[in-house]
Amino acid sequence: MGYLNSIFILGGINVLAVVGVAVLTGYTGLFTIGHAAFMAIGGYTAAVLVVKLNQPFWLGLVAAGFAAALSSLIVGYPTLRSKLKGDYFAIAMLGFGEAVRLLLNNTYKVINGAIGFTGIPLYTTSLLVLALDIVGIWLIRNFVISQYGKNCVAIREQEVAAELMGIDVMKTKLWALAISAFYAGVAGGLFGFYMTYLVPSMFTSSKSSDLLAAVVFGGINSLTGPVLAAFLLVALPELLRFLYVWRLVIYGLLFVIIMIFRPQGLLGYRDISWASLKRFAGRLGGGGRRSGPGLKSPPPARVAASGGGR
Amino acid sequence: MDKIATGGIAKDETATDEIILQTRDLSVQFGGLKAVNRVNLTVTRGDLLGLIGPNGAGKTTIFNLITGSLVPTEGEIIFRGHQIGGKRPDVIARMGISRTFQNIRLFPQMSVLENVAIGLHAAPKYTVLEALFRLPRAVRSDREVNRKAMEHLERVGLAEYHDAKAGSLPYGLQRKLEIARAMATSPQLLLLDEPAAGMNNEECQSFIAFLRQLHRETGLSIVLIEHHMNVVMDLCPRIYVLNLGEVLAEGDPREIQRNPAVIRAYLGERRRTARAGDRA
Amino acid sequence: MVLFLQQLVTGLSIGGIYALLAVGYALIFSIFDFTNWAFGSLMMVGAYGGFFAISAFHFPFWWGIVFALILAGAVSIFVEFVAYRPLRHRGAPRLFLMVTAMGVDIFLTNLAVVLIGGSFRPFPGVSAQQVVHLGPVNVGRLDLIAAVISVSALLALWYFIEKTKPGLAIRAASHDTATAGLMGINVSSVAFIVFSISGVISAVAGTFFGIKYAVWPYLGGISNKAFISSVIGGLGSLPGAVLGGVVLGVLETMVSGYISSTYRDLFAFTLLVLTLLFLPYGLMGKKVQDKI
Repeated sequence: MGYLNSIFILGGINVLAVVGVAVLTGYTGLFTIGHAAFMAIGGYTAAVLVVKLNQPFWLGLVAAGFAAALSSLIVGYPTLRSKLKGDYFAIAMLGFGEAVRLLLNNTYKVINGAIGFTGIPLYTTSLLVLALDIVGIWLIRNFVISQYGKNCVAIREQEVAAELMGIDVMKTKLWALAISAFYAGVAGGLFGFYMTYLVPSMFTSSKSSDLLAAVVFGGINSLTGPVLAAFLLVALPELLRFLYVWRLVIYGLLFVIIMIFRPQGLLGYRDISWASLKRFAGRLGGGGRRSGPGLKSPPPARVAASGGGR
Repeated sequence: MDKIATGGIAKDETATDEIILQTRDLSVQFGGLKAVNRVNLTVTRGDLLGLIGPNGAGKTTIFNLITGSLVPTEGEIIFRGHQIGGKRPDVIARMGISRTFQNIRLFPQMSVLENVAIGLHAAPKYTVLEALFRLPRAVRSDREVNRKAMEHLERVGLAEYHDAKAGSLPYGLQRKLEIARAMATSPQLLLLDEPAAGMNNEECQSFIAFLRQLHRETGLSIVLIEHHMNVVMDLCPRIYVLNLGEVLAEGDPREIQRNPAVIRAYLGERRRTARAGDRA
Repeated sequence: MVLFLQQLVTGLSIGGIYALLAVGYALIFSIFDFTNWAFGSLMMVGAYGGFFAISAFHFPFWWGIVFALILAGAVSIFVEFVAYRPLRHRGAPRLFLMVTAMGVDIFLTNLAVVLIGGSFRPFPGVSAQQVVHLGPVNVGRLDLIAAVISVSALLALWYFIEKTKPGLAIRAASHDTATAGLMGINVSSVAFIVFSISGVISAVAGTFFGIKYAVWPYLGGISNKAFISSVIGGLGSLPGAVLGGVVLGVLETMVSGYISSTYRDLFAFTLLVLTLLFLPYGLMGKKVQDKI
């Protein structure tokens, strides 16, 4: 039972971080391979606040999020200017990840550097993770269906036109980045208070690859897909132990295969909503024909959110 | 948008003579090449202005300069009294200039409705906090935006496709959608870059009617780049001819068609009034 | 003063390798407009290729190096054919290309981890310790050779690109790939040449770092320096890549010598951020305009 519980907690934590990356990469189209750094920043911030400065846990988590979000400006501000290509941001994120790990590894005061920050109490429970997941997904879903979210998608689809229609591209991208960093930060906080210790080597580029993988497999422009994938990518390697060692090799291969054969991933551009569940149930019952793009359905405003045009 | 009745579209019959856009000695240089050289254009409120010229004449480049995608190396662009040369494209767009593109730039995976809606909420009408918590103001605003977007779609006859992915529409309808999206930004000046490209004669005729009605109903100031001569000559009471980055001539359709320099540079050997425009 | 000269010389030799690496990256970027993340793992492929050729198959040292170059070049071309070209022909957005490139990098790196093991191995057949005395300055023999090799390689590349016909094709393609294709340039051949050059370069750098430090699966992480150099010098510009690489190498080594060697990589990142803040297009940046 404890084993399943641990899968649930780790999976749930992963979901939180992945959902942030989904907004940044899946919706806004900004490739990131360094989000583990935000988890690290969040994790250490929470640990220091709670363990060394005796602050309450909830404050630690909130601070974790904000610390990560603020630090994202260091990378975001120089590289997300509208005329700069996404490669600048990606390269800077890579460098940022390295820099953060280096700093953490070599700071022995307070956080004990490469040896690790131990003695963190076990405050993360499955109930807490579930609650935060539900709230977190709800908030992000709101962002995605809002005018901000739609602007993010427009930027991903056609940045030039998006800007020429009046979207402040840099500001929108910075918001997506800050939110994704906030989520990663909180996830990092939860992680530290589950593992009861933190060590910089927990947050290597492999971790960042794990996050990206969940979004690539789960699907672009979707929340449901990455959420499911985030959970599966924690559960499967645990259950299929022999796969664990090979998992990154498989991910790498799958990245290429998916981009070539099914770039939209598992559930790209699709989300599960009440309306779509009802439609699905209706099809199972009535055996109706698959709906095509021209089908008249109620205008998006009245339907519980779908992730994109359907 | 005001419905200014501009029944006849000739210059002296517009409601006001206010100059809405003016370029003075506008130039842009790439390395050794002066793509646009000391161009002086004037657009009056309510104009339906044509911009023609052979390929490479600099027409789209001028659009790019006006909309902020390019920074002029010389000269000024003045829009409603403000210098806009070198301003950021999204700032210029929010000031009231909108455009369509030579190569369609819709948001292909977004629905038709969502594409138009972007024009309405490029500058979001509520804060991120209100978005995150789905506060009533956000919900109301979204509903309002969707309603207005449907109106725009109805105006161009695309309402039945509102749910379809923009990329799945046939070519002609995509062009209409681009125009609807541009109009949704409530511009004062609309720049259309070869909106009739790829259309056959029949499509051109209905497009001419469409654009004429649009202009009449909204009183928008429009500048039109086109290669289809019949479209331009039919619609535009005033035309600029560009060649090699410079203004070659300006006038009404009859004057343009008779201008020997224009004929030499552009219309080729045919001295008849242009018909069934060929792409140069 | 001696310390300064010491660091300068070492810095120049590292800068030379960074410059070479940055050019290998910039070549592909300037033509195909995407970041070949797999570049790092190709360094590793070259290093391991040389390692096994010499230690397991008993190649003489320089033949082992040659083998490393050929192997990396071949893998580079293979990756281009299998992973990148299909996407490019489909007009896939750059996000997809980046994901694919990252996939290749993750695949190759972790394949090495699983099959070969994550431990450090010293590069066989050579000692990196030997020191050469140039007046008051002591330089590692390896660093000196590296400097010579990178300068020669860069000169050879410069000659190839500026003065030969295939080089002209490459220059044309880097200005405007689509138009170059329309003008009759065989973009496939250009791709072949450019990816093999890039692969060979990564092998040169890979074996250098394998010798200097050790051979291990994450050797390719140094490619970050190539990316950063290229951004500092101006993304997409070949001379910029060289300049950026040298500047980064020298400054980094200065920091390492005068302040602390631990924070080398932190300095690289800081330099990147500072450059982007004040010179968004890098030192020699090409402002790239989208055709609108």
